[in-house]
Formats: sequence, structure tokens, C-alpha cells
Amino acid sequence: MQYDEAIAYIASRWEDELVVTSAGTTSELWHAETGDTERVFYLEASMSLSSVFACGIAQGVGDKPVWVFSGDGAFCMNPGMLQVERQMNLPNLKHFMVSNRVYGSTSNVPLPGRVDNDYPAIARGFGIERVYSFGSMNELTATFDEAVLEEGHTFIHLEVEPMDYRGASPPMDGPEVKFRFGRYVERVTGNQIFTAPLDHD
Amino acid sequence: MDSNLEASVRSAARSVETGYSAEVAQEIVDNCVDAGISLVASLPDDWIAHSIASFEQDERINHVPVNREESALGLCSGAFLAGTGSAALMGASGLMTLVYGITKINYTYEIPLFFLITHRGTFDDGAKFHVSNGLYLEDVMKSINLPYTIINSRDEMPMIGEAYHHSRKISRPTVAVLPKKLLQGKV
Ligand SMILES: Cc1ncc(C[n+]2csc(CCOP(=O)(O)OP(=O)(O)O)c2C)c(N)n1
Ligand SMILES: [Mg+2]
Repeated sequence: MQYDEAIAYIASRWEDELVVTSAGTTSELWHAETGDTERVFYLEASMSLSSVFACGIAQGVGDKPVWVFSGDGAFCMNPGMLQVERQMNLPNLKHFMVSNRVYGSTSNVPLPGRVDNDYPAIARGFGIERVYSFGSMNELTATFDEAVLEEGHTFIHLEVEPMDYRGASPPMDGPEVKFRFGRYVERVTGNQIFTAPLDHD
Repeated sequence: MDSNLEASVRSAARSVETGYSAEVAQEIVDNCVDAGISLVASLPDDWIAHSIASFEQDERINHVPVNREESALGLCSGAFLAGTGSAALMGASGLMTLVYGITKINYTYEIPLFFLITHRGTFDDGAKFHVSNGLYLEDVMKSINLPYTIINSRDEMPMIGEAYHHSRKISRPTVAVLPKKLLQGKV
């Protein structure tokens, strides 16, 4: 499966889910595909923390769905993230793990373990119950509704080809990403983020 | 296997046997709750085993034990964007692993985060392997302009709430440092 085709398809199915992208190609492609600057937190600054960051969001937004992307390089840095995800077991969290077997956005440097890593097995090994693995567009499109739209914490492994891609980062400084996303969450959930009172007395 | 709750109760009992105060642990929880914290992510250091158990057993808190301290940073940073007040509870060693996460996530996006950490490496710390924290912890926090306050006695416990609210005010992380004698109920 081609990386950009998979992302384009997922973006075409996007409705009102909150989205968190990871450092690397997922941020660049999702921004190139959607141009969105409100409902997406482009967590470009750090590898391996997108899914726990998304857990923090998902636990506080009721039943609003949260889609989070991680790259395989980022995932391998902190596979224990699945222990946290499993324990929190948030029914509104869908974790798309994009495996291109390389550190894509750093010029496709090969990943250690690229031949052997079995990501669905790792996810099951941490006790994740809803695990899907898609290696082709046919599989992804045929089973998308069951994997992504049905309730339940889900780990979705997407096996894609490395691509020669050097996209631009979303053109926003960190605080703008925070405020645009946070204000959107405030608007749709009624939660107080920036408007929370500061004094505790 | 026993439940998480049973395991937590046993860990708390063990912590009391080794000299740590159940009352102080409860005061830490109460101060966090009073400040508006409802989510706590933790990874242990021996000194805070009872605090972790007290958070786990308190129904006002969603306590999430994490696999590594970076995950606590990620989780609490995300929780901010859902409007959930949170704290990341860990040892000094845990904080020392977080220079990258703090500077790259919290400083880049200006996301507040409240840390509760142990004051390892002080003169009353019997562990030789914490000498590094004694030498470098405070200097590392200063070098990345990370504001911290040391809770020197139970009278100063309200500083927990102040440190938490300060992080919201400045849109950056802050740290409340918990000394051994405080956690033992001696000061
Ligand atoms: C802790 C850390 N180490 C290294 C980097 C540099 N870096 C940024 S993106 C990236 C590659 C990401 O690879 P992967 O997660 O597999 O995503 P892909 O682009 O392949 O989808 C690297 C190494 C970083 N941002 N953070
Ligand atoms: Mg990759």
C-alpha cells in the first residue's frame, strides 16, 4: 500500500474526529491532504508520545472520537505506550500505526528490526483486543468501518511502502497549534482549557 | 492474580513499614484535588510508593501508572488540551530523563504541566546511586528555566496548589519537589 494513498483515504473518511499526528511523515501528509488547522494537533515536536498525548485528550472529551497516528520509528521508541493505552482502554481512541520500516521523514533511514518486527503481535502481546492489520488499499477500505467507526480502543497497523517524500511542516508555530486546537475543543465540548480560572483560593 | 487495588494496598503497607507516612501521602492527594487536579500519571521512586497508592485508591483521581516518565509527560500534556487538570508524579531520576520532552513539547507548544518529584540525592538519602541527582537535579532544572519549589514541611503543602496554578499561568511546566523527611512525616 502506498503511504500517501492510505492517508488520503483515511482523510476522505474523516468527519468530526479529533486527530493527533506524529513527528514525521504523518504530520506532513495529513496537513498536505487536509490543510486543516483546527481539529488536528500536529505533534511534530516529539517522537513516540503521540498516542499517550491522544489518550490525555480522549479521556477528557466524552465520547468524541480521537484518531492518532504514529510512525513505526516512533512506535519502536516507546512500545510500552500500549501498556498505557490498554490500561486506559478508551473506547473513543483509534491508533493508526504506519509502518514503512524506515525513519521516513529523515530520508528513509532503515529501522532496526525492520525485517522482523511484528506490530500486530506486539499489540496483542500487550493485551489490546481490537487489533487490525492492513497491507493493501482493498483491505483498508473493506474493513475501515468495522475497525475505525465501531466503538472500542483499537490499534490499526498500516503496512505501507517507503516513499520519497519531503513535505513541508504545517506552517504554524507551537502556540498557534495549541490555541487553534484547544479553542476548537473548548467550542465543541464546552470544556474549559484556556478559560479555566487560575486562582485556587 | 490479585486486583490492582489489592496490590496497591499491599504496596502502601510496605511503604509504611519502611518509614513513609500515610497521612502525608493523603495530604498530597488532598492538596492536588483542592487545586483542581483529577488525573495523575505516575512512575515510582521508593519514596513516593505510598503517594502512588493513595492516588490509586482515591475515587476523586483518575490514576494512570505509566510505562516510563515520558509517557506521563505526553499524557498530562494531552489532558491539558481536554481541559483536565493533571499531575505527573515521579522520582528525580524520572524528571532527569525528560529534558527533551519538556523542552520539545511543553516549551514548543507552551503547554503547562505540573510535576511532583522526589528530592533525591540530599544528605538524608542513603542511596549511593542517587548521588547524581544530588549533584545535578537542581542545576538541570535551573538550566532549562524550569521553576520549582521545595515543599520543606507539611505547613508548606499548599505550595502544591500554587505550583500547579503557576504552570497554568505561565503556560510552562512547574515542579513541586518532595523531600524525604516530608514524605516520612518528620517535618
Ligand atoms: C526523540 C527523537 N529522536 C529523533 C528525532 C528526529 N526525527 C524526526 S522524525 C524522525 C523519523 C520518524 O520516523 P517514523 O516515526 O517511522 O515516521 P515516518 O516518517 O517513517 O512515518 C526522526 C528520526 C526526533 N524528532 N525525536
Ligand atoms: Mg517509519
